[in-house]
Amino acid sequence: MLDFLQGFSPATHLLITIAAPLVGAVAAWLLGHRGLPAVRQSAAVSSLITLGLAGTLVLRFLSSDAIASGGFFASGEFGWFVTGPLDIHFSVGLDGLSIWLFGLTALLTVSAVFVGWNAAEEKAVGFYGLLLLLEAAMLGVFAARDIILFYVFFEFTLVPLFFLIGIWGRDDRRRAAVKFFIYTFAGSVLAFLGLLAIVLWHASHTGVLTFDIATLTAGLASHPLPMTPEWGYLQLWVFAALLVGFAIKVPIVPVHTWLPLVHEETPACGSVDLAGFLLKIGLYGFLRFSLPMLPEATAIAAPWLVALGAISIIYGALVALVQKDLKRMVAYSSVSHMGFCVMGLFALEPVAVEGANLQLINYGLASAGLFATVGMIYERYHTRKIAELGGIASQMPWLAAFFMLFTFSTIGLPGLNCFVGEFMVLAGTFQRAWSGAPADWSTTYLTLALIAVAGVVLSAWYMLQAVERVLFGPPRGATAGEHGDHARDLAWNEVAALAPLGVFIVWIGIYPSPFLKASAAAVTASTQASSEAFASRVVASRAEATAEHGRSSAPDVDLTLHLGPSRIISTSNNLAP
Amino acid sequence: MSPPLAAVTAATVQGLVPEILLVAAAIAIYLIGAFTSFRSGWLLAFIGVAIPLWLATPEGGDSLTAFGRWMTLAAGMALVLVQGGDVRPASHRRLGTCEEAGTFLILLAGLSLVAVADNLVLLFVGLEMVSIPTYILLGLARTSSRGQEAALKYFFLSLLASAIFLYGMVCLYGIGGDVSLAVIGEKLQSGDVTTERMTLAMLPLAVGMLMVGAAFRMAAVPMHFYAPDVYEGTSTPLAGVLSTLPKLAGVVVLVRLIGLVAEANQPAALAYAGLFWQVAAVLAALTMTIGNLMALVQTNLRRLLACSSIAHAGYLLVGITAAAAGTGSMSEAVTAKVDGADATLYYLATYLLATSGVFAAITYLGHRWPIWTPTTPRPPREEVSTVSDLDGLASTNPVVAFALAVFLLSLAGIPPLPGFWGKLSLITSLLEVDWGMPVTMAGRRAWLLALAVTLVINAAIAAAYYLRLIAAMYFRPAERGVQADGGLSAGLAMLGCLVVSVMATFSPRMLAFDDESSLSAEAPPAVASTNKADHD
Repeated sequence: MLDFLQGFSPATHLLITIAAPLVGAVAAWLLGHRGLPAVRQSAAVSSLITLGLAGTLVLRFLSSDAIASGGFFASGEFGWFVTGPLDIHFSVGLDGLSIWLFGLTALLTVSAVFVGWNAAEEKAVGFYGLLLLLEAAMLGVFAARDIILFYVFFEFTLVPLFFLIGIWGRDDRRRAAVKFFIYTFAGSVLAFLGLLAIVLWHASHTGVLTFDIATLTAGLASHPLPMTPEWGYLQLWVFAALLVGFAIKVPIVPVHTWLPLVHEETPACGSVDLAGFLLKIGLYGFLRFSLPMLPEATAIAAPWLVALGAISIIYGALVALVQKDLKRMVAYSSVSHMGFCVMGLFALEPVAVEGANLQLINYGLASAGLFATVGMIYERYHTRKIAELGGIASQMPWLAAFFMLFTFSTIGLPGLNCFVGEFMVLAGTFQRAWSGAPADWSTTYLTLALIAVAGVVLSAWYMLQAVERVLFGPPRGATAGEHGDHARDLAWNEVAALAPLGVFIVWIGIYPSPFLKASAAAVTASTQASSEAFASRVVASRAEATAEHGRSSAPDVDLTLHLGPSRIISTSNNLAP
Repeated sequence: MSPPLAAVTAATVQGLVPEILLVAAAIAIYLIGAFTSFRSGWLLAFIGVAIPLWLATPEGGDSLTAFGRWMTLAAGMALVLVQGGDVRPASHRRLGTCEEAGTFLILLAGLSLVAVADNLVLLFVGLEMVSIPTYILLGLARTSSRGQEAALKYFFLSLLASAIFLYGMVCLYGIGGDVSLAVIGEKLQSGDVTTERMTLAMLPLAVGMLMVGAAFRMAAVPMHFYAPDVYEGTSTPLAGVLSTLPKLAGVVVLVRLIGLVAEANQPAALAYAGLFWQVAAVLAALTMTIGNLMALVQTNLRRLLACSSIAHAGYLLVGITAAAAGTGSMSEAVTAKVDGADATLYYLATYLLATSGVFAAITYLGHRWPIWTPTTPRPPREEVSTVSDLDGLASTNPVVAFALAVFLLSLAGIPPLPGFWGKLSLITSLLEVDWGMPVTMAGRRAWLLALAVTLVINAAIAAAYYLRLIAAMYFRPAERGVQADGGLSAGLAMLGCLVVSVMATFSPRMLAFDDESSLSAEAPPAVASTNKADHD
């Protein structure tokens, strides 16, 4: 297959990959009259073809020079909304930031199709068509090189998921679907304003109205958005607009409230998609837009976002600890673990950022696996209450084994993938706390890093507690007995859904360096501006602190005073008399 | 001073070919309806609209004229088809539809004339040629008390709005000393207008009253409150007419009036443009917020769409704000400029497309199946009128449900549907005004930024009620189902709008008019001041 595809230029290859799920959706529609088996087989085939195309594209990427340069691979574009004032291009390409997320999307869609093999007895065409549509939109999000194209795909992902939740969800599905849509839509329209502000700022300083992300990044490096009072701290406002949109997607506490409800009502394959790759757009957005384009604002906000990351970790873990519903628990654990990614990203320490970037993939695999297995348990026992389940390991050893694998991955067992990411994030955050934090912040950073460690412990606690109750002990047959299929171990389609995830979980856990290496240059390039801005803030704050101590030998004031916003926005407004 | 009454020349007639054809077709339909037994007025009206649409747009006029005419004919074509689905009781159907069809063509001619008008008199005549047929169309539904209420309410408010608009025109005439828009614009821009207090005091009056007059046509604050009652009281096709064509008239008039001062640098012109954007900005913020909040609580379909139409008037006013503020913009840095007027017209085109589609689809759905057992008398027919009537439409009428979903998502501004491209243009044009100037507290930039934020928040609020409709269609089980007896032509209109929407999704420029600014500084269309041939 690779040899055959070498005949195409990388750009054509990429466009074919994005179009493949759409073709698959049309094929499923055409086969609709032949009933469920034909439809789901065609969906499986087209998702496998897409995976093959994406996989070969990743291989071609790995052998290209884009890894070293951190630039775009497989760039291709054609005009879309070109004539007239707006110059929007359908321009796509992959770089180190997006390549793994691109591959992950293709991989998890295959899993989602197999997980949802029996989910839609009726309206199967719509079900599989929407899954494939969602895949195409997500591939587009990660491949977009035009800011408007990114936004178009970004918003469009809401539509298929809205219908997936609303039609095939559980009892409260309508509310969940609408809440999901409104919540994320409200955030992303504000992010849209921020993105437009970036475009227009660039246009007013270079005279070119472009939407090309690389051009904008370069342009904003030479003409940064202003951070002065007479400009109203414009950069900070733009950062805040993007933050709202992306934070809801991640989600960061306190804007996470939509997630548990949505996961609870979504069919299993929807949860796989949602947790596996949809929520990764938030952090991808930070890495793609906020960090390289708004370095000064990022430097100012970074400590606060590290704090929010730590709060997400501990809050998500504590709430997960008391959940009675297995799926809700996994949903809160996903809030908790995404906190690690946020923390690592905004530690702005190279090792932590790379760790966070890898952790996106890691946790995508692990949480997709967890949601898939929870869905399988629900399919057999028709309950997700932890108290009503038990003894699965003795009846269904394979299902139990996979569940254990994903659990161990999530809690960061060494040798599995999440350990690598979380270790790098924690190492980077500690490093930031000891060597590179602004004056007065090193204690805070240290505290936050320790909170994150506590989060790891808590995560092991609630996950293992649930595993112990659900997998071991006497079989609970109260509800299981009523359904003949309760003791059925994994079917072939379920193995096909879970096994690839397991392979990558072990692979990244044992040998992560190819995955890290492919992204390293691109991650460094997109973090560099923010890291430098942060470093200069650190230097400034330390010099100031020294000067302050020189003037007044008062003992260090209590921390809360230093956390005041005035301190953060303007360094000149210090506590000196 | 140009002569008030110029002779009708061959050029005049040539410049007014579409309008003349429309009126001629209307007269023909009236006569056929009166003297023959032919009953299908809408079929004739279809031909009457198709001929001017088929003939190339005549030479003369700026791009606003071209846009206005083209949109009039395109939306008119769709609405003729929508109304052609005759859902009245059989007792009325035998009277035929020639009166309605002829009157509707007169309305279209008036609308087209608004786009062509180059002086105040012709502009007012055009607007009245839109209003009076509307009264008649509403009044023809004289049998129901709600229809009467709607007609009367619209009639009195419209008269009031026309009077206010006329006062505004008089003030403008007082400032410019002429009825010709070109002359007024020249005076404003050249500094010929004396900066006496009297003149300057007249400017706010003029702008305020013109805006209020146009606000009625657009169903914008402060003249918005009639919309829910009137839409609910009238028939679905007529609600479709009311939510599209008068809005087109209002927007074209406002864009034309802003076009008077394309290069605002004299005090009078600056004051004019300044007043314009300030009033428009306040009205825009109020209109979209009030419209969307009202829509959230509606359960009646037509009332909900009326509120949505109010909200969209607000979005259009955002574009008007950008257009007016842009004429006095201090920013020269952005070379590729998204003109506020262009953005407004583009947004209007996407709105007309989606709204015509929605009303076509609802007209096509017609009536609910009655709950009827053999022992009870047959219940009266019930039109599809509430949101819950749409329950489960996706399983009973999948094509209609899909089309409605596309139109509603487009109205909500979900990418990549046309409505998104419209909102993108609007926001870009708004943010571009003075871009590159520092933001000062309470400065113009700050106000415009606040307006942009209001717009996107409103877009999120609006998504809630559009999704409610989609959720009803797709997520609820069907209870009674609909008869889909609204007529084949309404179905065709719906499919046509769907096809155009999908095409405009992938080539968004299709709905945009041209690349040059529609606010060309030259005189608007070379049409003589009077047109006796046109209305009798």
